[in-house]
Amino acid sequence: MKNFKNTALALAAITLTGIVTAQTPKFTGPNLTTTDPPKIIAITGGKLLTITHGTIDNGVLILENGRITAVGTAGTAIPKGAQIFDAKGMTVYPGLFDAETHLGLTEVESDENSNDLAETSDEIMPQMRVVDAFHAETVRIPVQRINGVTTAIVAPASEDTIAGQDALIQLYGRDRNAMIVTPDIALAMNFIGDVRRKGSGRGASKFPSTRMGLASQLRQTFLDAQNYMAEQAAAAKPDHKGPPPKVDLKFEALIPYLKGEKPVVLAADESYEVEVAMSIAHEFHLKVILNHVTHAQDLLDTIASYKVSVIVGSIYSAPRPNERYDAVYSLPAELQKRGVKIAFSSLSDGPTSDSRNLPYAAGYAVAYGLPYDEAMKALTLNPAEMFGVADKQGSLDTGKVANVVIANGDPLDVRTSVQQVFIGGVPIPMTSRQTQLRDQYLPLSKTPTPK
Amino acid sequence: MYHATLRNRRRQGILASTLALSAIGLHAQAPPPAPTDFVIRNATVMTATHGTIDHGSVWVHAGKIAGVGPTVNAPSSAVVIDASGKYLTPGIIDPHSHSALGNDINEATSPVTPSMMMIDAFDNSDGALYQALAGGVTTELLLHGSANMIGGQAVVIKNKFGLSREAMLFPNAPRSIKFASGENPKRVYGGRDQLPSTRMGNFEIMRQSFEDAKNYIATQDAYQAKVVKGDKDAVAPKRDLKLEALADILRGKLLVQIHCYRADEFLTEEAIARQYGYKIRAFHHALEMYKVGDQIAPTGTAIATFADWWGYKDEAWDAIPWNATMSMREGVRVALKSDSNDYIRRLNQEAGKMIHYGGATEDEAIRMVTLNPAWIIGVDDKTGSIDTGKDADLVIWNVDPLSTYARAEKVYIDGDLFFDSSLPGFGTTHFHGVMHTSGFSGNDDEIGDGQ
Repeated sequence: MKNFKNTALALAAITLTGIVTAQTPKFTGPNLTTTDPPKIIAITGGKLLTITHGTIDNGVLILENGRITAVGTAGTAIPKGAQIFDAKGMTVYPGLFDAETHLGLTEVESDENSNDLAETSDEIMPQMRVVDAFHAETVRIPVQRINGVTTAIVAPASEDTIAGQDALIQLYGRDRNAMIVTPDIALAMNFIGDVRRKGSGRGASKFPSTRMGLASQLRQTFLDAQNYMAEQAAAAKPDHKGPPPKVDLKFEALIPYLKGEKPVVLAADESYEVEVAMSIAHEFHLKVILNHVTHAQDLLDTIASYKVSVIVGSIYSAPRPNERYDAVYSLPAELQKRGVKIAFSSLSDGPTSDSRNLPYAAGYAVAYGLPYDEAMKALTLNPAEMFGVADKQGSLDTGKVANVVIANGDPLDVRTSVQQVFIGGVPIPMTSRQTQLRDQYLPLSKTPTPK
Repeated sequence: MYHATLRNRRRQGILASTLALSAIGLHAQAPPPAPTDFVIRNATVMTATHGTIDHGSVWVHAGKIAGVGPTVNAPSSAVVIDASGKYLTPGIIDPHSHSALGNDINEATSPVTPSMMMIDAFDNSDGALYQALAGGVTTELLLHGSANMIGGQAVVIKNKFGLSREAMLFPNAPRSIKFASGENPKRVYGGRDQLPSTRMGNFEIMRQSFEDAKNYIATQDAYQAKVVKGDKDAVAPKRDLKLEALADILRGKLLVQIHCYRADEFLTEEAIARQYGYKIRAFHHALEMYKVGDQIAPTGTAIATFADWWGYKDEAWDAIPWNATMSMREGVRVALKSDSNDYIRRLNQEAGKMIHYGGATEDEAIRMVTLNPAWIIGVDDKTGSIDTGKDADLVIWNVDPLSTYARAEKVYIDGDLFFDSSLPGFGTTHFHGVMHTSGFSGNDDEIGDGQ
């Protein structure tokens, strides 16, 4: 069995990297046939950014059976038989948590056949579950994870008012089931007037074509779902006569959210959109994570008073003509200053969602006033807390899942290169289709000749 | 053609803008001061041509760089700007922008529209220009979109936001024309069941266009020959703006900028250029140059590429973030460009990524957003580096501009301060605070004949 495995891997290497490695076959692709991580890993000598208890210079981190089992200073005991990663001169930090991405829902964005971004046949689609479309083998995931993103919320695109339910994934695993940590972790709800399903102005001939329509449709949906819940409750009583209500997947999907058991990720851009959307959310006692609030600078105190967290996903969005040029850049700092818990997401209105650039959005927020430690938190612990998985994710703490990154410098800086990523305690192959292309064509390059 | 008219309009524009400045400028009551000298001292000067000078000085006289080095021989009367702890670079140059053109980017009614002039769509009041200025951008090549195989003629601007249209034109900049090939023309015309719907169709259109141009030149030459011979009956051929522009390509009067993604297309484009005897100045996007850089380098064609965009369309599927550095090592002149009102605001960081992807030196990275794009535009003798005699297009940054944390603090164009984060009230597009540190430099040069 062992021999067979090695032969298969060698063949895979030849196929993947062509003539370059044909003479010296070596494994370069993800080793998805091995499910057992090395039992014990010790990362020594690095600067540990623990997130919860400061920075430890020359620290020791022990990963055992996929969990972090020790975090400490240089003297920390290293278990016998541990595989040692020397991280001298390196920065060691928790795997980054992307609070919103479309990973696994699209391959080539311009190719409609490869897109499962949103079911746009109706505006209210809570029963859509991204887990049903999640393409675990997408070429995009290895590209992102080798820059240190280990965990992500996969969300549908924002064309619908209620677009479906998000999933929490880890970015390494042998198949879909191994990568999906929590299906249906949150409900994606959008109160973004200008990107609603059929667009504003032309083409808006179907209901709802205005924010009034959006709001009224949302209220009716929640009322109908509450009614459905009441009918179910009535049918559950022993003295109930007649059949139980017919199962309606749309209303079923809304129940945990109407009960406040799971968060609704509510996207709104403009101040008045935020206010209207929040009033509806309050009316139905939804547990809200606000998303965007990109052009709501005059409302920041009010947003703080809502006591909700905010995903600041659009830091690179251009400001409106009446806004300062740096209004969006400084939004994370302004929210944090007011005590709002923030998280970053890689989804912006750029031409391609590029999750690997997630840390740079946080770095940019630092340039515009966000304290560094808060920026790191907003990439790790904060999103874990928002989505209710902080007991397992988001910091270098004993007992947490061993999602760890080793980089040659400051994680938020564009000049920094990630050296090794661990997901679930597995030192993942630092390769992607892009590194394979690089290695395939690199021999064409001449000796470096600075011009 | 309307060259002389434009020149007059521009002179009037300068007058008008001077009046406007006295109304809205910071020195509202004062007449524009006489040209003065100023010296930026103690900066880390990244020159782009001769390395980095720690604690360097730059002397600006009458809008030009009059000296650069550890010390300069500025007159004692020169105003001193202390830039201790700050970084000084040449102005960032974007060789591929569609800012300030509204929706008038493609005349998508025919695949060959070389007589379209971007200057006829240029809207100098577009706030995107101010936002780019805040990112340190001092010069932009405003290009057509990519719907057409031969789209039209570009305009080169200096980012003097707040001044008149004419005052923003880059004096004596060469003319550029934009070609496009690949998926975009295929999609636009193929979608209407018109030629071209394939790459075969794309290139057939180009070859036929140049055959027509050769014919036009022959007709004109024949007429000239008759005139020279003294033939009084010689009838001048009818002028055709479209054919005249195509003829100017063959006459080498236009810099050819080609939107093009795939390796095979670079080779085809170069073959067509050889066949018809013109030079290609740069391939734009050029995401697969790393595959054939060794073959393209000897042609002298540069590339204007993205740092790390990929996957948004089929022809961007093999894009890798090492493209720029690998192509550079193969001897290709490489620039980074924005193609986006978003990315144009932080091209410095896109350059910083080249240290991460492929180990560019700081010098090489800075050149990718200064001198190399200046060469692509054909203005590298005037701007793009900190060298004596060049235009004083300079940016003072708070920290290393290649880091995530850099913010432009002061942006000078022709020695005038067009962005200054230390001034009260700055930050919105309503603020047109031009500081005449060097005297008003709306120079009276003739405009480049393409503009």
